[in-house]
Amino acid sequence: MSAQRVVASAWRSLARSKARSFFMMLGVIVGIAALTALASVGEATRQETMRQFKRMLGTFDTLTVRPGAGSTRGMPSLGSVEPSLKFPDGPAIAAGVPGVKRVALVQQAFDLDVSYRDATTVPLVLGVSPNWADVRGESVVSGAHLSEEDDRSLARVTVIGADVARVLFQGEDPLGKVIRIADVPFQVKGVMASRGAGPGGSSLDNMLVVPVSTASKRLFNRDYLTTMVVQLNDAGASDRVAEDVRALLRERHRIIPPAQDDFTVGSPRATLAQISKVGTTLSKVVTGVAVIATLIGGAVIMSLMLIGVSERRREIGVRRAVGATRADVMRQFLVEATLISALGGAIGILIGAGGATVGALLQKLPPAYMWSMIGGAVALSVAVGIVFGLYPAWKAANVDPIEALRS
Amino acid sequence: MIEANHLSRTYQRGDGTPVTALRDVTFTIAAGEFVVIRGASGSGKSSLLNILGCLDTPSSGRYRLASEDVSVLPDDERSHVRSRRVGFVFQSFNLLPRATAVENVELPALYTGTAPDRARARKLLERVGLAERAEHFATELSGGEQQRVAIARALMNDPPVLLADEPTGNLDSAAGESVMQLFTSLHEGSRTIVLVTHDEHVASFAEREILIRDGVVASDTLRRERSPS
Repeated sequence: MSAQRVVASAWRSLARSKARSFFMMLGVIVGIAALTALASVGEATRQETMRQFKRMLGTFDTLTVRPGAGSTRGMPSLGSVEPSLKFPDGPAIAAGVPGVKRVALVQQAFDLDVSYRDATTVPLVLGVSPNWADVRGESVVSGAHLSEEDDRSLARVTVIGADVARVLFQGEDPLGKVIRIADVPFQVKGVMASRGAGPGGSSLDNMLVVPVSTASKRLFNRDYLTTMVVQLNDAGASDRVAEDVRALLRERHRIIPPAQDDFTVGSPRATLAQISKVGTTLSKVVTGVAVIATLIGGAVIMSLMLIGVSERRREIGVRRAVGATRADVMRQFLVEATLISALGGAIGILIGAGGATVGALLQKLPPAYMWSMIGGAVALSVAVGIVFGLYPAWKAANVDPIEALRS
Repeated sequence: MIEANHLSRTYQRGDGTPVTALRDVTFTIAAGEFVVIRGASGSGKSSLLNILGCLDTPSSGRYRLASEDVSVLPDDERSHVRSRRVGFVFQSFNLLPRATAVENVELPALYTGTAPDRARARKLLERVGLAERAEHFATELSGGEQQRVAIARALMNDPPVLLADEPTGNLDSAAGESVMQLFTSLHEGSRTIVLVTHDEHVASFAEREILIRDGVVASDTLRRERSPS
């Protein structure tokens, strides 16, 4: 029998017992729908997390250098970090490491009161070098960014984030107004474009920047940095540049083995890889559950197929009498099982993808589909059909036609 | 066409004791003969039919069908022999209930490796007088109609031998009569027909009668001259 006719005949057989076919499919439909939905919702969430991180980090073609060994948890603040990263380290990296485009310097604190008239807020206060906005790709909606001249002259000027503008000025135009940062007066020079939500959904706009020179001399009175942002010419070279930066800093800080680094070089890529890995662990558990559901669906197919084989003994006998070989009968039942399971898988994918779309839209996320998982679901449902169809098909092939035809 | 040489068939009963269904059965049926195998129930005639139809193999002895020794063939090969050489007609029709008449007729062609031939299936239905019932499901047909569909099915691969097991056993006498008429007319087309029955009236349609009693051939008689073919 040609493959096409085997499939056509199996299709007819299934189409003529719709109720049974549906129940056979049910388990696989549920399993595959769950698999597809969970994978796709997971993917949508993961993509959103990536977007949040990208918004926070501004760009991916950077390395960050922080004081202290090992990864510090939470936000580093001037009061809590090792004073190991000095201002001259930045220009030294820019000049001494090939592949480095520029180095932005940052001092940050998040415990300073900022006030304008009666309104007070406690935003993230950043002292930044003039190139910071370019490195980060930040833009202003009004006014201007900090300039080289501001930095040289220790100007008391600030560019504020959208949240700070809203809380302090409540609709008033902030440009040219004087606000007090830890009681030091600063003139508002610009308002930054909103950056939206970062990881965890918290706002990235509750912040302001001042020239790092002004910050170190007039605000913090510290001569060390909390962060250096190293921008690369080529994001692909980040591993090599990170190694070179590390070597240079060890030399400058006179660190001799076996002494540990007194700084940490991190890359957004590594952070993101970490995030996707966490996502993967969770989705592994979820995937496992859905796979088990699909396997149970397979077991349902097997048991209903076995019932089907005993109900169809006479049909098998007739087919054998008119010339079907054992292999023909085996093939017929195997194809039926596979068709059922694949069809259930297809329906499950449609339902799962539909559910994921609705779920994503309800969370106001752009829907995403994990195509690799959907491909896997297709393969799984076909495999389930074959594996769980094998035993019933073997039983069918071994029905004794003489017994089956005895009236 | 059919050469049965010292055929025996022994079954194992559930408790392991052997039961002999056929013992040393020998006869020859020439091409184009219309033979009835008659016997009471339990006489071994069904066992004989299963062997003649290549569904079963003899415990000992030789069976040649169309000059080929089929008693030694493996299961697969016997399937192919059934497909090409034998058409079965059963007492309980054995149509596939979820298939239409024409699909039932076509069934044997599925296993020949040739292209599907719906036109031939329709022609055969016309031959048995059921052209207008082609698209009906088997369950929508009367007993007599079902049996005629079954006969059309048996003819699908144009086998030289038709084997029928009590073909009128489940039919009323009028339907039975028309089925027997059909067999007679098929025989006139020079096909070899072997019909198993216990019914004297059915047997009267055949040219020759082999009587089986307790697993042995009790008599082998010519009932009338072969009709010229």
